[in-house]
Amino acid sequence: MEDLGLAAARVGAVWLALVFAFIVLPSALGVSLGISEAYMRVLVKTLEWATIRIEKGVKKPQPQMLKTPAANGIIERDETPMEKEIARLHRVDFEFSDIFYFCRKGFEAIVEDEVTQRFSSEELVSWNLLTRTNVNFHYISLRLTVVWVIGVIVRYCLLLPLRFTLAAIGITSMIVGTTIVGQLPNSSVKNYLSEVVHLTCSRILVRALSGTIHYHNKENKPQKGGICVANHTSPIDAIILTNDGCYAMVGQVHGGLMGVIQRATVKACPHVWFERSEMKDRHLVTKRLREHVADKSKLPILIFPEGTCINNTSVMMFKKGSFEIGGTIYPVAIKYDPQFGDAFWNSSKYNIVSYLLRIMTSWAIVCNVWYMPPMVRKEGEDAVQFANRVKSAIARQGGLTELPWDGGLKRAKVKDTFKEEQQKNYSKMLVRNGSIGSQPTGTESD
Amino acid sequence: MGSAHSVPAEMRELADRTGFTSEQIEHLHRRFKQLSRDQLTIRKENFDSIPDLEFNPIRGKIVHAFFDKRNLRQESDGLADEINFEDFLTIMSYFRPIEMNMDEEQLDRFRKEKLKFLFHMYDSDHDGKITLQEYRNVTYGPSCPVTTEFPAPALTRCLGPDQVYEGITFDDFLKMWQGIDIETKMHVRFLNMETIAHCY
Repeated sequence: MEDLGLAAARVGAVWLALVFAFIVLPSALGVSLGISEAYMRVLVKTLEWATIRIEKGVKKPQPQMLKTPAANGIIERDETPMEKEIARLHRVDFEFSDIFYFCRKGFEAIVEDEVTQRFSSEELVSWNLLTRTNVNFHYISLRLTVVWVIGVIVRYCLLLPLRFTLAAIGITSMIVGTTIVGQLPNSSVKNYLSEVVHLTCSRILVRALSGTIHYHNKENKPQKGGICVANHTSPIDAIILTNDGCYAMVGQVHGGLMGVIQRATVKACPHVWFERSEMKDRHLVTKRLREHVADKSKLPILIFPEGTCINNTSVMMFKKGSFEIGGTIYPVAIKYDPQFGDAFWNSSKYNIVSYLLRIMTSWAIVCNVWYMPPMVRKEGEDAVQFANRVKSAIARQGGLTELPWDGGLKRAKVKDTFKEEQQKNYSKMLVRNGSIGSQPTGTESD
Repeated sequence: MGSAHSVPAEMRELADRTGFTSEQIEHLHRRFKQLSRDQLTIRKENFDSIPDLEFNPIRGKIVHAFFDKRNLRQESDGLADEINFEDFLTIMSYFRPIEMNMDEEQLDRFRKEKLKFLFHMYDSDHDGKITLQEYRNVTYGPSCPVTTEFPAPALTRCLGPDQVYEGITFDDFLKMWQGIDIETKMHVRFLNMETIAHCY
């Protein structure tokens, strides 16, 4: 038994040494050894091969494939506005026809609605050899099944332990490193060291997820004293962004491991962590953020204005709070490639632990990050309009659709004020048309 | 479809009865599961989770139509408390588009079914007639100011000069819609699923 224990310890030591040499050290120095790139190339080739085999396996002759984005839904909607459609039907002089329009709209909403769609994972155009994305597993060919089995073994037995080790190393070094740096007196040396620690740990964590991130337009990177806003898909968005620069994060104070990390990092770098009770007081939040932004030597703030995780096919309403602070806004668009792994956190379906497990057993996390030119609030523009302007810019850059809906609809119902407004519109139109409709037929009592 | 996959018998039977293709049925099934939160039946409350539907002025009537036993093709009358997936599909089939290969008789039946669905939406007391009050309830609804001079010419149109107005029956209703091809308007168009490559 002792020999076994000794052998296990030796294997463990060799394992750790390899991890340090090939991954941790290059992260600290900001150097890449090209292992991830090689892995990605092999992965892409395998998935391409798998797709071709699947298509061959389908016996029916496929018609010319249209690029129908599956994320945009399964029904074709008629986008004519309410007034036009009803006017068109009214030519036939029928009040019943009003009901038509609403009936059809109602059924379209029941078959599929834009909002609920955004809170479930995007469907893939072709299978990526993960069971979780396979809606209907059919046996296609022996070779494909073998590749899938190999994939499962590689992911669970090789990649998962590796990623877990890296994540553990990353988080521990973040806590230890920032605590040490936090002991130093405030000075430029402290800031420099804090940046080094944050960057290194982010890089380790990104490698823990096998992340391949492409940064575009680095010249627009957020500057000190600015506010960085981005669309939100998952908790790892923050890591993706801090991999390339240092930010002051904003968020609620959590308990547990997250709380430990928060308390450690705030000593080294001026992150803004709010108590739950403070978050409710919007003015307090705005005041603290304003103070931070006013100090031009402070790191840019990172904010996710949607307030909740969306499935990365669209951008939902930006809460105006972040846009009332003033200062320069640096928009950033993040788009994940779902082929290699689904980064979306469906918090109503999975808790954080199972989510992290899923992430660590996917192939990789591949994403594109676009830094966009800074935006400022124009004269006469209010916070809501400014927020919408930034939202459109991000949606356009990332290739996402834009929705006016509030991400809070994930959990709450539509506010009554919105409903009443729509109903008022309809009533106004009816009364107007009702009086017009009765004019030609002069015999009606009016 | 997968090469070695046989459509389960009940799916085929559903497809025949409701006229949807199996891919459409699968999509609708997933939607049903979403609405029912993985239960086997849905109740009226489950429709509350659709934000798009909240804005619809006749939302109540639409949801009601799903539970109306007359639409569910059951002999009994009244309202069901909950419906299963088969019932859900039956109601959705009132909104399926016409197929190119339908003959006259099929088209006529199709049209009648859709109009009957609309008729049931108005006739809330299930007596086979739409009265003025029922008409007002649907068209103008509780949110709109109802004034006494609402003409409702459509209803009084088919009456002769001496006829007392009682309410329109389904036959009167059918007559009103003659010449208007509502079956081309009363449907939900599914995108062609075939063009999306997938392994099932």
